[in-house]
Amino acid sequence: MIKIEHLSHVYPGTRKTPSRMAISDLSLSIGKGEFFILSGPNGSGKSTLFRILCGMTLPSAGSIRIDGHDLLKNPAQARSLMSVVFQSPAVDKHLTVAENLRLHGDLYGLNGKDLQDRLAEAIAWTNIKDRLNEKVDTLSGGLARQVELAKCLLTRPALLLLDEPTTGLDPASRRDFVATLRSLQQQRQMTVLMTSHVFSEAEDVDHVAIMKSGLLLAVDTPQALRAGLGREMVVVQSRNAAALELRIQADTGLHTRRHGDEIRLPETENGAGLPILERLLERYRGDIDSISIKQPGLEDVFIHLTGKTAQEIENESNEGTSK
Amino acid sequence: MQVVFALARREFVRFVRQPQRVIGSVAQPLLFWLFLGSGFSSSFRAPGMENVSYLEYFYPGVMLMMMLFASIFSSITIIEDRDAGFLQSVLVAPVSRMAIVLGKVLGGTAIAMVQTLIFTLAAPFLGLSLGLVPLVMLVAAYLLTSIGFAAMGFFFAWGMRSTAGFHAIMMVFLMPLWMLSGALFPIEQAPGWLHLVMSVNPVAHALVLLRDPFYMTPHQMLADGRYLLALAVTMAWAVASLLGSMARVEKREKGIGLAG
Repeated sequence: MIKIEHLSHVYPGTRKTPSRMAISDLSLSIGKGEFFILSGPNGSGKSTLFRILCGMTLPSAGSIRIDGHDLLKNPAQARSLMSVVFQSPAVDKHLTVAENLRLHGDLYGLNGKDLQDRLAEAIAWTNIKDRLNEKVDTLSGGLARQVELAKCLLTRPALLLLDEPTTGLDPASRRDFVATLRSLQQQRQMTVLMTSHVFSEAEDVDHVAIMKSGLLLAVDTPQALRAGLGREMVVVQSRNAAALELRIQADTGLHTRRHGDEIRLPETENGAGLPILERLLERYRGDIDSISIKQPGLEDVFIHLTGKTAQEIENESNEGTSK
Repeated sequence: MQVVFALARREFVRFVRQPQRVIGSVAQPLLFWLFLGSGFSSSFRAPGMENVSYLEYFYPGVMLMMMLFASIFSSITIIEDRDAGFLQSVLVAPVSRMAIVLGKVLGGTAIAMVQTLIFTLAAPFLGLSLGLVPLVMLVAAYLLTSIGFAAMGFFFAWGMRSTAGFHAIMMVFLMPLWMLSGALFPIEQAPGWLHLVMSVNPVAHALVLLRDPFYMTPHQMLADGRYLLALAVTMAWAVASLLGSMARVEKREKGIGLAG
């Protein structure tokens, strides 16, 4: 669906700032019907890549084909295949939900019976069905996002691009949004490309790409990325964790960490966790409420590859301007 | 076309939904006209217009001001749309860049037209009468001038990131265009240097189109070189602004070439 070849982008410098390489020789291909997540810390080039993909910025070099159409030379055809959800909500707050949807239909040349059918289809899954005549201004953040997604689905896009669409939503709305998106994507056989730095969102998508400093560090399935890290960790829960931690440290000499009543043992190579678990269980059975081997999540993969913690990334993005 | 109308309709609906804007846009020029018009009336004497009170002289000037202000407001919404994200969704839609310009310009024009048409109702109170043909010519002048202003505002507002920056453009460029158009005082009375500035101001020509229908017959106007020149200049100004705006929208942000 998307084929990016040798893409580079250099931002022109100004008098005070030198020119800056945002993407360097990036090649990537995304298959039809995939749910693809692009992640990376701020300044990694993912937003630049996003702007180029939606046809708003021309890159310095390279080519992009959207379903065979050259996006850079012939943007109109590629544009008609895709829909874009931006980070800042692209709905007109002074208009009602229905007016927003109609306006979007007009932009894509839809009218009459066709528009009616598509409207019904686009809002079928939403919670805004009975609020069509209310101004978007009066809706909650989660509902406003639904309006926007409905708007984008109106055009029956083959490709849906989303730029950190869950920013500003509470965790529950965030989960709902991604789950809805996933099921819509599967029902309608859309290709979805979404940028995100919330890793819980990426755990069960088709492919994840991680970018840093304009380079693609990894592209794979979430399973393969996690497995590639090749590490695991034993985690013990106990009512008297403080005392138990001291005993474990004294007996094994391992460097443990404790968070409340949870004791985390150091990360080990894959497969090394089980013998540790057995040993602990043998010695301290009476004190252990539960014990498990924790597999790494995507967040761990990300930290490993980029050298940044998710908290740092969250902080950076809260400071505003993502470049 | 569907796109142009949809975008223009949005402008208009937004305007009507904000009662402050509606009231402000009608009341503000009216107050200007009444206060300045009455205040200067005793001291005003234009050469060749001895029987004309300042209230009457200033009347077409206020029309021009309405169009200017309608254009300024609609240009500011371009910056707001960009800020709010709405503009992005229009930009990534498969619509011609020309439609984006025309939608905005016609939206602003429609608002200006409503205001000026209402204001035209004041003409009889000044003792001015209009035949059908001069009225049509006057309305055509409204349309042309509004498009010119709206497109010019678009041209300046397009690349801007903040409304504060646009206010500067408005104060140092757009407002003087209006002030030096002959809207406030006749060109003939201005000192030499100002006279020169005023005579190259394209907006001054638009004012001729707005003033003449009240005082001349259609035959006189069409036989008058001054009127025809004004028509040509105003058209050229509107078309140039439209083309300039389209060129700006057409331009995509671009990365620079790779070194080596």
